[in-house]
Amino acid sequence: MSRMIELRGLSKSFGETSVLRDISFDIDKGEVMSIIGPSGSGKSTMLRIITQLEKADDGTLTVDGDRLFESHDGAAVYNKANERRVGLKTGLVFQSFNLFPHFSVLRNVTEAQRAVLKRSRDEAEAKAMALLAKMGLEDKAKMYPWQLSGGQQQRVSIARALAMDPAILFFDEPTSALDPELTREILHVIRALAEEKMTMAVVTHEMNFARAISDRAVFMDGGVIVEEGVEIFTDPKEERTRKFISSFESDG
Amino acid sequence: MAPLLLQMLEGTVTSLQIFFLTLLFSLPLGFVVAKGKMTSIRPVRWITDLYIQIMRGTPLILQLIFFYFAPFYLLGLSYDRFTACIVAFVVNYSAYFAEIYRTGLQAVPRGQWEAGKVLGFSRAYTFFHIILPQVVKTIMPSLGNEVITLVKDTALAQTIGVSELFRVAQTASSREFSTVPIFIAGLFYFVMNYIVSRLFALAEKKLDYYR
Ligand SMILES: Nc1ncnc2c1ncn2[C@@H]1O[C@H](COP(=O)(O)OP(=O)(O)OP(=O)(O)O)[C@@H](O)[C@H]1O
Ligand SMILES: [Mg+2]
Repeated sequence: MSRMIELRGLSKSFGETSVLRDISFDIDKGEVMSIIGPSGSGKSTMLRIITQLEKADDGTLTVDGDRLFESHDGAAVYNKANERRVGLKTGLVFQSFNLFPHFSVLRNVTEAQRAVLKRSRDEAEAKAMALLAKMGLEDKAKMYPWQLSGGQQQRVSIARALAMDPAILFFDEPTSALDPELTREILHVIRALAEEKMTMAVVTHEMNFARAISDRAVFMDGGVIVEEGVEIFTDPKEERTRKFISSFESDG
Repeated sequence: MAPLLLQMLEGTVTSLQIFFLTLLFSLPLGFVVAKGKMTSIRPVRWITDLYIQIMRGTPLILQLIFFYFAPFYLLGLSYDRFTACIVAFVVNYSAYFAEIYRTGLQAVPRGQWEAGKVLGFSRAYTFFHIILPQVVKTIMPSLGNEVITLVKDTALAQTIGVSELFRVAQTASSREFSTVPIFIAGLFYFVMNYIVSRLFALAEKKLDYYR
């Protein structure tokens, strides 16, 4: 059993506007998938459905063997018993970090370990310190988020997500709020995680980075997957994909 | 002089009772009202909104009179002035606190709720450990203003005959042809509010460690 994500026929509308239509893909354990596409194509909504911040309208999703929702007569029926379990298997890193401003860096990384996973203080802090060290932030443990640069804040938020030992980690444009210097920091961290075979799905506009780390790739536009496969970076078949990719070439 | 001071002390105790009882009930009730104003259930939202509009749009004096006399005229019931006064203050101040809470709740970015959810916190856990501390920090200044207003508003309780400090002072001053009792009362409000604002300044300072 090496499949981490199996998504079939996902659809979602907000009121009258259809945002996702018939989205299907798989991610295997240890793989990195990149999700690219223009603004408004539904990338965030898709991640938010898998991480349970939004509800699916239709489709079937299995995460690491656990069914989260299943299509029945054109509607997604949620498997309530699995919601929490799937939630613990999925982590999400936000574009805007969303660190807890009133907690120190250390507490940002320990809070959920203690409250949700019921780890002891010692265990949670040891885990947090190890992750912070890995992010190059061991000397920042006692600081507060506002005292850190954007890149450091994003690394704390990655440590916070990793502390929960997710089976798959999703990134929604993790560098879009950062300038190029800080962007490199974050891409470096994600690349290191990929080398450790952390299963990840990354929404990004960093094409060179995406091409370098991806085992799978999807190009979305207007709520559908237009084209998939890592060839989309080098040899796109669809006109829309080609246009989108070439619009990034200047900053290669 | 001694009986005067004793009377004024009793008046002070009554004023303090109004002050603390109002806070005791309206601080938590304000949250319920704020929830009502923010709910997706439309009728509840409308009713809550109307209630807040009335409380903010009419004088507290009028509300005191209403809560004292309405039960008698409408239902033939009567209850004591002090209870009526507390009810009026609580109903009025809950509306004001609700608006303060609502502003504070809306100032917390939605991403804070979402981060809590993605990390596996329950809604209640996220509310009490993540959202509420941030709300408290943002509303501290407006809350301070409102509490200072409350100290001064307690003087309105005399409208329905509650012997709070200011009424006692006025009665005494006309009886003794002296402005001293009024001056003493004024001093009390001033000292009381000095303490209140120091406490709030202290709380704000304590919460200054993050942004
Ligand atoms: N809560 C919502 N209510 C209504 N419409 C929404 C909501 N969330 C997203 N949408 C709409 O759904 C569409 C897809 O949005 P989404 O954020 O998923 O796109 P995206 O691909 O992530 O775009 P971007 O690159 O700008 O982040 C957009 O048209 C957006 O306006
Ligand atoms: Mg997005």
